[in-house]
Amino acid sequence: MRGGSILKIFIVTAVLITGCEPTPQPIELGSDQCAYCRMMITEQEFGSQVLNKQGRSFKFDSVECMAAFDLTDEQVEVHSKWVPDFLNRDTWLLAEEARYLHSETLRSPMGMYLSAYGSREDAERMKEEYGGSILSYEEVRSLVREEWLSGNRNNHMHH
Amino acid sequence: MKQTACIFFTVLIFMTAVSSIEAQITVSQDGEHSSIAEAVSMAMPGDTITVTEGIYREHDIRIKKPLTLVGEGRPVIDGGDNGYIILITADSVTVSGFEIINTGRSYIRDYAAIMIEKASDFVIEDNRLDNVFFGIYLAETNRGVVRNNHVESYDRREASSGNGIHLWNVKNPVIENNRVTGMRDGIYLEFAENARIMGNISNDNNRYGLHYMFSNGGVYYENTFRRNGAGVAVMYSENVDMKNNRFENNWGATSYGLLLKDIRNSTIEGNRFYRNTTAIYSESSSNILIRRNDVELNGWAVNIKSSSARNRFEENNFIENSFDVRTDSPRNNNHFEGNYWSAYEGYDLDRDGIGDVPYRPVSLFSIIIDRQPESLILMRSMFIRLLDTAERIAPVLTPKTLFDEKPKMTRIQ
Repeated sequence: MRGGSILKIFIVTAVLITGCEPTPQPIELGSDQCAYCRMMITEQEFGSQVLNKQGRSFKFDSVECMAAFDLTDEQVEVHSKWVPDFLNRDTWLLAEEARYLHSETLRSPMGMYLSAYGSREDAERMKEEYGGSILSYEEVRSLVREEWLSGNRNNHMHH
Repeated sequence: MKQTACIFFTVLIFMTAVSSIEAQITVSQDGEHSSIAEAVSMAMPGDTITVTEGIYREHDIRIKKPLTLVGEGRPVIDGGDNGYIILITADSVTVSGFEIINTGRSYIRDYAAIMIEKASDFVIEDNRLDNVFFGIYLAETNRGVVRNNHVESYDRREASSGNGIHLWNVKNPVIENNRVTGMRDGIYLEFAENARIMGNISNDNNRYGLHYMFSNGGVYYENTFRRNGAGVAVMYSENVDMKNNRFENNWGATSYGLLLKDIRNSTIEGNRFYRNTTAIYSESSSNILIRRNDVELNGWAVNIKSSSARNRFEENNFIENSFDVRTDSPRNNNHFEGNYWSAYEGYDLDRDGIGDVPYRPVSLFSIIIDRQPESLILMRSMFIRLLDTAERIAPVLTPKTLFDEKPKMTRIQ
């Protein structure tokens, strides 16, 4: 009995030690606030996060806010960046490995029409239905830098 | 022969004239026309369609020409959880007097009870919308009025609720005297120019009562925002006038009366902030005049981040807030002058109505709890009062230049 307890403690400790690799945290919809734009996060299919090296999660309401944070923040030591799979919203994808669809028929929380997919095929399939173009994470960053952070977004109407 | 031709043309002109004087089509459940969509498709531009009492199970009613659609005895249009219910893509359309219920819901399409797209000069008036994904949706419109409508939806799961009145890429909209409740955002603006938003009541929405994004040059006044998940947010916009509104009872860890993020050159005047977690939160906002507001019984009256500069707080009443001002830096780039602070303990020997010693609205305790939130349990203890008083006399940790040099002795009327 006693031996069993010690073994359990040993296993738990082992799991804790090896389990220190930061993993994405669940987002509390309707309560968590975007670390970039301060908006309350309400849509799971867009909610993204950055993990720092201590495993702390910085949550965002959209891919574009995470990219904007990624481009402007100088303090957080980034461990990894995560985006939700638009077609399977419980799945987290590494930002650099995901494919993105930029389509004006798919609205996203900060108005940059970005959704993320686990495979190029998924992105292609969505593109066939909704149009637009497929981007890599690096291209998402450029888009956010040019269209949003350059500061003339308010004057940029879509007509 | 010539005379016959003349008569013929006269008759023809007369007939055209008659048909261009708006014809009247009546839709009723047991009458000649029993479908609203059919009546719409057969109507001529400028016609009036009167729909009488009853339940019409229709969706995707597309209005592509100028029409007036009037409900008599509040007929119900039941979309049966399918798609959009009314879609307007022509100028000068009026829809009034309906109850519109049960739109479709989707993660991809913004299904709305009334969708107005690429149109101008519409009037959406006196409708009741219930159990809808989005309520009234304006996309790429100009002018137009949305007035006296009620929008509600009691689905509390955020992911499946859209916005009550949603404006995207619009110019000169008027949103007046509507009531919105139980939606994601009550009223949402994205790329809306010169919006006039007045007299609305936006309560109990899951996220914001009103939400401005990238929308310049608007005014909102005399609206009431109560018990919304996170209050009201005005973001990435400039030249917005916010006057005589009520921001009340917005409680919660991330809840604000008014959240300002990247706002410039705007005025916040004559509003009442009552019982909010934080009445006014400001980040990266500048050149805002905050004047003559009543800020009463909130957790924090003002939380101003050091990224905010050149904002002026004048002649406001700060009454019985747990904390007056919170900030994250020992520097101060904003100006406080001539406000009434109920926590002010100074004196007025020359009796000019202005306190003779400055008031420092950032208390030491508010800085302590920023660093150690657990110390909140010491609130209102004797120890904390002593610390606060000592700090006010000789500031060490609180911003030295953040003070009101001319605090009013009595409440400003």
